[in-house]
Amino acid sequence: MQKKIKKPVSELIIQIVAIIVCGIAALLCLLPFLLVISGSLTDNDYILQYGYNILPGKFSLEAYQFIFEIPGPVLQAYGVTLLNTTVGTSIGLFIIAMTGYVLQRPDCKYRNRISFFIYFTTLFQGGLIAWYIMITRYYQLQDNRLVLILPLLMNPFLIILMKNFIKTSVPHDIIEAAIIDGANDFTIFTQIVLKLATPGLATIGLFLALAYWNDWFHSSLFISTPSKYSLQFFLYNTLNNTQAMRELSQTGASVSMEVPTESVRLAMAVICTGPIVLLYPFVQRYFVKGLTIGAVKG
Amino acid sequence: MRNKTNELKKHGLLYLMAIPACLFFILNSYLPMFGIYLAFTKYNFRGGIFGSPFIGFENFKYLLESGTLFRITRNTFLYNLVFILLGNSLQIVTAILLSKIANRFVKRTTQSLMFLPYFVSYVILGVFVYNLLNYEKGLVNSLLIQWGMERFDAFNTPLFWIFGLIAAYIWKWLGYGTVIYLAAISGIPEEYYEAANIDGANAFQQIRYITLPSLKPTFITLLLLSIGRILRGQFDLFFNIIGNNGVLFSTTDVIDTFVYRSVAKTFDIGLGSAAGLYQSLFGFALIMIVNGIIKHINEDYALF
Amino acid sequence: MKRIFLFSLLFAIMVSWVFSGGQHSDVENGKLDLSKKVELQFWMLGNAPGDLKLIEEEVNKLALEDLNCTVKFNYTTWTDWSQKYKLLLTSGQQIDLIFTSEWTDYQRYARSGAFLELENIVPIAAPELNTFIPENYWNAVKVAGHIYTMPNTWKEYVYDGFEYREDLRKKYKLPEINSIETIEMYLEAIAENEPSMMPLGEGGTGPKGFLMVYPITAELLHPWSDRSMDNYGLVSDNANPRVMYQYWGSEEHLNDLKRWKKWADNGYWSRSILSSTEDPVAAFQAGKLGAKISGINPVKYSQDVIVMGKNHPDWEVGYYPFSYATRIVHPVHPTHNGFAVPVSSKYPGRAVALFEKLVMDKKYNRLTNYGIEGVHYTNDNGYYKMLGNAETSGFKRESMNSWAWRNPEYMLFDPSFDLVKSIFTEFDKFSTPDLYNGFAEDYTPYQSQKTALEQVIAEYLAPLQAGLVEDVEAGLNKFMVEAKAAGMEEIQSEYLNQWYAYCDEMNIQ
Repeated sequence: MQKKIKKPVSELIIQIVAIIVCGIAALLCLLPFLLVISGSLTDNDYILQYGYNILPGKFSLEAYQFIFEIPGPVLQAYGVTLLNTTVGTSIGLFIIAMTGYVLQRPDCKYRNRISFFIYFTTLFQGGLIAWYIMITRYYQLQDNRLVLILPLLMNPFLIILMKNFIKTSVPHDIIEAAIIDGANDFTIFTQIVLKLATPGLATIGLFLALAYWNDWFHSSLFISTPSKYSLQFFLYNTLNNTQAMRELSQTGASVSMEVPTESVRLAMAVICTGPIVLLYPFVQRYFVKGLTIGAVKG
Repeated sequence: MRNKTNELKKHGLLYLMAIPACLFFILNSYLPMFGIYLAFTKYNFRGGIFGSPFIGFENFKYLLESGTLFRITRNTFLYNLVFILLGNSLQIVTAILLSKIANRFVKRTTQSLMFLPYFVSYVILGVFVYNLLNYEKGLVNSLLIQWGMERFDAFNTPLFWIFGLIAAYIWKWLGYGTVIYLAAISGIPEEYYEAANIDGANAFQQIRYITLPSLKPTFITLLLLSIGRILRGQFDLFFNIIGNNGVLFSTTDVIDTFVYRSVAKTFDIGLGSAAGLYQSLFGFALIMIVNGIIKHINEDYALF
Repeated sequence: MKRIFLFSLLFAIMVSWVFSGGQHSDVENGKLDLSKKVELQFWMLGNAPGDLKLIEEEVNKLALEDLNCTVKFNYTTWTDWSQKYKLLLTSGQQIDLIFTSEWTDYQRYARSGAFLELENIVPIAAPELNTFIPENYWNAVKVAGHIYTMPNTWKEYVYDGFEYREDLRKKYKLPEINSIETIEMYLEAIAENEPSMMPLGEGGTGPKGFLMVYPITAELLHPWSDRSMDNYGLVSDNANPRVMYQYWGSEEHLNDLKRWKKWADNGYWSRSILSSTEDPVAAFQAGKLGAKISGINPVKYSQDVIVMGKNHPDWEVGYYPFSYATRIVHPVHPTHNGFAVPVSSKYPGRAVALFEKLVMDKKYNRLTNYGIEGVHYTNDNGYYKMLGNAETSGFKRESMNSWAWRNPEYMLFDPSFDLVKSIFTEFDKFSTPDLYNGFAEDYTPYQSQKTALEQVIAEYLAPLQAGLVEDVEAGLNKFMVEAKAAGMEEIQSEYLNQWYAYCDEMNIQ
């Protein structure tokens, strides 16, 4: 906080505009999510009859009861996702930052070629089939926990974004000074870059964590043991399964379960959002105040 | 030759540090690229990928002869262009305004709330949009009737969806994109603002002369990153909200939805690969041109 | 230059890598070779039951003794299953048996070489099964002259009808449903008297256009026609299958479209129906829909009866199968539930032999269909009775998705199935074999025209069918012009050639 008795008028105008605009935007983002929460707490038949409301028209916990009917598998899936997210994010973030650091060193002669080498993969892809063949037949990763971690470790978007963050938040003269002091490139990276680029690291780390947290695709393609399913896939598949069983004309039995599909879908969104919403405010710390150069120099 | 060995000797460790990432992309992206060959074959299971008959550009014919190539390319291109430009502009504005809010609680809360749409899947969004806009029972129409107005027939009004889909996209990604710019703003050294304060610059001038220029590299990077994929992406957005509603195709059909519909029915592996290659080549040409221009203006901003 | 060189080198490595090894078979010299102990890979659709491991163990005990093999049942799950199905067959990983059906594109996969020919394997590896399945069933599943899947023998009917609320029909004193007129009267009454209900509903539209009107046009309005009216506007005559009529653009087509326009104008379905995200099954069960047409068959009807009877005892569900009016019905085609041996199979003979056990051996059959007796179910006077409750049971009836090895002689039913059976018995009186579903076109000659035509259908025909076009006649003309421009006529003539060839092959006169 700055110790100024009088704030300039312009600052005041900006404050007011900012609060109004951001407030409206936040509200627009919040409202549909309230629909999700309220819908997840509403009786399924009520939703089918009257649609969605900001407040539950007819309160019911049936969606959550359905999901947690047998809590073991859900909690297990939670555990899998938690593990994938922490391990994947830590390893991925480290490599991304390291690569980003190399790519932004102006004295690194082939940096543009490496950039191009990495970026090229967003332009041309071999397609799902070829990739699937590589993973299953050559890397032998089918039904292996690693397949939920490795493919998501990094992507060109995050690397290039990271390079950009490092470039802006770590002035090159600091690196040069360190080189003159005799530090090697790896030490510079761990001792200086990782400490100075916190806003960038927080952002990329958040994005990586989100990608792991929301991933259902890799479980869907490669995992055949239910105890290794990620949370999103577990929930998503439970819903699909009940819908498919109903669609199938051939079950030929009366044991068809009744599933509150509408509210379950929304409850799933709530369950998957919860933890990351709690994590986000923690990450926010790093956006509010990055370390200033002065702090490092001094 | 000598240059090269010198460079390697001098920065050996640096290149070593780039190896994990390069290895990752070789294994995960480059080796599977043999799949591109599928675009030129008529796939059959006996022959497999390299034993199936080679048919040259036959698979690309369906794109040309479908009669919609121009339309879907135009739609995809324009939607993505608006997504990129409008999306980024609004994210920048929001990030700057957020950074200006002094009350820490308000700042954090609004920022957190903006992240919520990211968690609402397009499937759920599609359900909501239908509930909001359907002709007989939609919320919007119920209100219009209450106010004595005509019903609005959204699902038979192609032009409406240009705005509808853009709004949905902006809404979904606002919080996500804002984080990037917020991080960039946090990276701006505080001294710049202090100096500006001393010089008597007002808040608007500070934004104009300090904040915006500092965001330029981030903006250009994001721009370049999206340009290569300008003919791809956002399949879920279009598919979950529009579905297979042919009435709206004139303004809502994009390459990915078109290919999805044709391949879902015929499951032809070659067709999908051919469409993918078309998207790649288009993006490749565009990025080479744009990156070239930017490199010419300021080498620092170029992607490679 | 160097980059290009590097790329081509990489590519060359890939090429040499991806080629797979040669074929070998365990059926040689007219004998099944059981000497080596092997593990078979079965791929099933859908989700695995909770107690799969238990069942698998039991099966393996038996199989090890009988066939010197063990088996692993793998499941695709229902999430993205068709994508996974394609990947499984394309990737070339070992699969010894995989579920097939016309709705998993059996014919198309067979045609493009995904499966092994079975006619040489089955007589040797599964002689009992070979005679158990009637000759005409084996013939019916042939694709291009070869057998690629093992047909199912349980006779069931998956046939459309009109499902409605019988209590409302009585309430408004409407005549019994038995014709298009009585259906219209019912819908009219719902539209007028039940403002909170939509008379008819459907979740969105398929790539073929507006699906809801298909069953009713094909089966009720034009009973002489083949049930699937969407083969490029060609409709074959039930009495004379070789003859195909041009339905699109015809007088009948125009009249039908005018009828749909009237239905739409009367508000029988939503003006937003083409983008609908609503689930009609759930909506009907919740009392939001007055009736359903598409995807209704006796089994689904019986499920609605059970669910709605429990939640809303005062509601009554009515069902009128179109076949009652038309007196035309076919049991499902033998391709409907089958198992094929993919070309990547290492032990095709053993796989087929095990499949024989699953169908023919009561121990295997009951175990894999109903679970372990006394643990998962009991045989209650010839009826199936589940032990425990549906939410927690580790193995519900047919929860291995074992539809393809149902054996009518060993089947046990839930008492509620009697309702379905009674409809089936009615159907049996006039049912005739399905001649159509064994035919699968080879659209390679007109691939791009087909894609173009589908675009035209979605854009011009679907809105017409949904009654959203003001001027029906002009709309139909526009559609015909666009369809012709897309290559409808070339497609039709090639399609007809293939149809005639199929009729010759199957001896259809």
